[in-house]
Amino acid sequence: MTDQITRPPEPWRQRLIRTLLYGRNVDRSAKARARVGLAIIAFSLIYAVIAGRLVMFAVNGDGHGARRTASQDAIATARPDILDRNGMILATDVKTPSLFGEPRRIIDKDEAIELLTATLPDVDAGEVRDRLSSRKGFVWLKREITAQQQKDIYRLGIPGIGFLRENKRVYPSGPVVSHLIGHVNIDNQGIAGIEKWLDSNGLADLHRAGFATDRQQEPVQLAVDLRVEHALRDELMKAKDKYKAKAAAGLVSNVNTGEIIAMVSVPDYDPNNPREANDPTRINRLTTGVYEMGSTFKSLTLAMALDSGRATVNTLYDARAPLTYGKFKIHDTHNLGRSVPMWEVFTESSNVGAARVALSMGVEAHKAFLRKLGQLTRLRTELPESAEPLVPKRWGELNTITIAFGHGMAVAPLQAVMGINALVNGGYLVPPTFLKRSREDAMQVAKQVVKPETSYSMRYLMRLNAEKGTARKADIKGYYVGGKTGTSEKVVNGRYSKKQVLNSFTAIMPADNPQYQLLIMLDEPQGLPETHGFITSGWNAVPTGGKVIERIAPLLGMVPRFDLPPSERLILAASKESR
Amino acid sequence: MRIVHLFVICALVFAAAYVYRIKMESTVRTESVLRLRADIRQQRDAIASLKAEWAKLESPKRMQELALRHLSLRSIEAIQYDSLKNLPPRPPSFAKPGDPDPIGTMIESVDLEALAAAASEDETLTGSIPQPEGAR
Repeated sequence: MTDQITRPPEPWRQRLIRTLLYGRNVDRSAKARARVGLAIIAFSLIYAVIAGRLVMFAVNGDGHGARRTASQDAIATARPDILDRNGMILATDVKTPSLFGEPRRIIDKDEAIELLTATLPDVDAGEVRDRLSSRKGFVWLKREITAQQQKDIYRLGIPGIGFLRENKRVYPSGPVVSHLIGHVNIDNQGIAGIEKWLDSNGLADLHRAGFATDRQQEPVQLAVDLRVEHALRDELMKAKDKYKAKAAAGLVSNVNTGEIIAMVSVPDYDPNNPREANDPTRINRLTTGVYEMGSTFKSLTLAMALDSGRATVNTLYDARAPLTYGKFKIHDTHNLGRSVPMWEVFTESSNVGAARVALSMGVEAHKAFLRKLGQLTRLRTELPESAEPLVPKRWGELNTITIAFGHGMAVAPLQAVMGINALVNGGYLVPPTFLKRSREDAMQVAKQVVKPETSYSMRYLMRLNAEKGTARKADIKGYYVGGKTGTSEKVVNGRYSKKQVLNSFTAIMPADNPQYQLLIMLDEPQGLPETHGFITSGWNAVPTGGKVIERIAPLLGMVPRFDLPPSERLILAASKESR
Repeated sequence: MRIVHLFVICALVFAAAYVYRIKMESTVRTESVLRLRADIRQQRDAIASLKAEWAKLESPKRMQELALRHLSLRSIEAIQYDSLKNLPPRPPSFAKPGDPDPIGTMIESVDLEALAAAASEDETLTGSIPQPEGAR
């Protein structure tokens, strides 16, 4: 302001031009100063942005080096290890080199092919030629070669041939856990069993995003015990050979937590060689197959009557003559010819008696009870393979009669195991799981389906059956085994066959406070001289079960107890006290 | 003014050198980090393959085959298990706590020289029954 006063007056021409250019009352120097200020601010902003960006680069570092190493291996992405309940490795990743070629960079194709086929004798020369003559930039020549082969090929020094390190899935225990754990394809994606379950639970998404390249993933711990699994498989293989059965299957489950400790279905396959898995005789019979469980189902029928409160183990049922319904006649294996109490229906495995028990309850009650025990709906576990039970569409009295002794309805064996677990563990229906689970967690998902008193009676019946019924051959001293046998005739050409049977044996141990349930199934066992030609369950499935129990009980940490009183005194008396 | 300029130029050169050194150092360290990471990865892979091998060696199937081939053992029976509860009670100890070890003192009290002298005189000192005449 002050220098405006001291400044000499401008000549009038200049004033005129200024007025024309800027307007009358504008101070040019002030304006110039403002412009310079604006320029300063603009430039400092630009420099600040540049500086900020530099800081960001410095902080984030260049991910370039890391990306370079990551791209050199891990085409097939990493999977978490799978451990058994004791921490033994069931499946793990091992890095193996794979051989690839870049056809555009190979100078002498014939020489390369000749050298390669000389080093890798199992490679087909024609195929290698086809691949190398293609115009692609990258072709696989052989996946998963050995370290020695890699060294040899490296020494050959062929241009345009290189190695990538891939993760290869290996199963150290081989076929022992095959059905349970499933397997992966060449790109390390799970295509069966627990491996597939892993993929469907987020691992596949990780793969797609490219994160699952390192082995930094938490291992997955299963409920299975490798030692028990092996013992079960070993005995089943022996039994399958001995009785010339078509197949054998076995399952050990924890009664209280629903964990599956072992699951074997032979014939099985080696997950390290998944091609065998496509053979239809090697399916997992315990989850993918459905079977008429035969007399095993009588446990459910009797439990229904006991749970309603309308019957006790001493209620009499008429088994004097075969049961006639319309044109159908229900026989017992040998006619009892008298009225028998319920416990004898169980130990003699009387079809007529079981049918009468079911009839006394009515069709609707029977259906409702089986639904409550989860026998009518598809059972879903972690395993992707599951089967829908075959239930009659129109369920009349005849269906109830046959289903009472386990014919006319087919369930997955795992499903029957779940039902029987509920009958003996105090009445809780616990959905089975292949993952480790504590008692508390199991109780959260459990549902009370039968009364505890019913459970006591069922334990008593099972134990009684091992003391003087059909399961005597599995009464291993010291472990207080209880059990129920089942012999179901298979349907051949629309008729039940007498010669082809599916035998099962369900055991609980110890019967006074069950911890584990064992299921043994033999498909079409043959009669032997030592079984006197009999093919019923008591002659093959039960002794097999006995051998299995003898081997696995110590592994399961069961303490042998001798000199225990018979079941009337130990189980029945205890249940009366608790009431 | 000139001194200030000189000072600023010196500071500039110094700063440039300093920044260059830091940059160099960080590059070296980054490289060593990368190398270490690659090393760790390699070690981990090696551990994994060793573990897999170990699991294969100790798999129950293999153990059973080996045991059947090399050992003459039978599988254990329930009766062979027992609990510590069922052990017979410990026999009463005659030595009071604080007493010297009874067997030790007995051995120490033996006069070795006297023994040797006796042994040379009398063959029957060891307690064994002397061979009867004409036993052969």
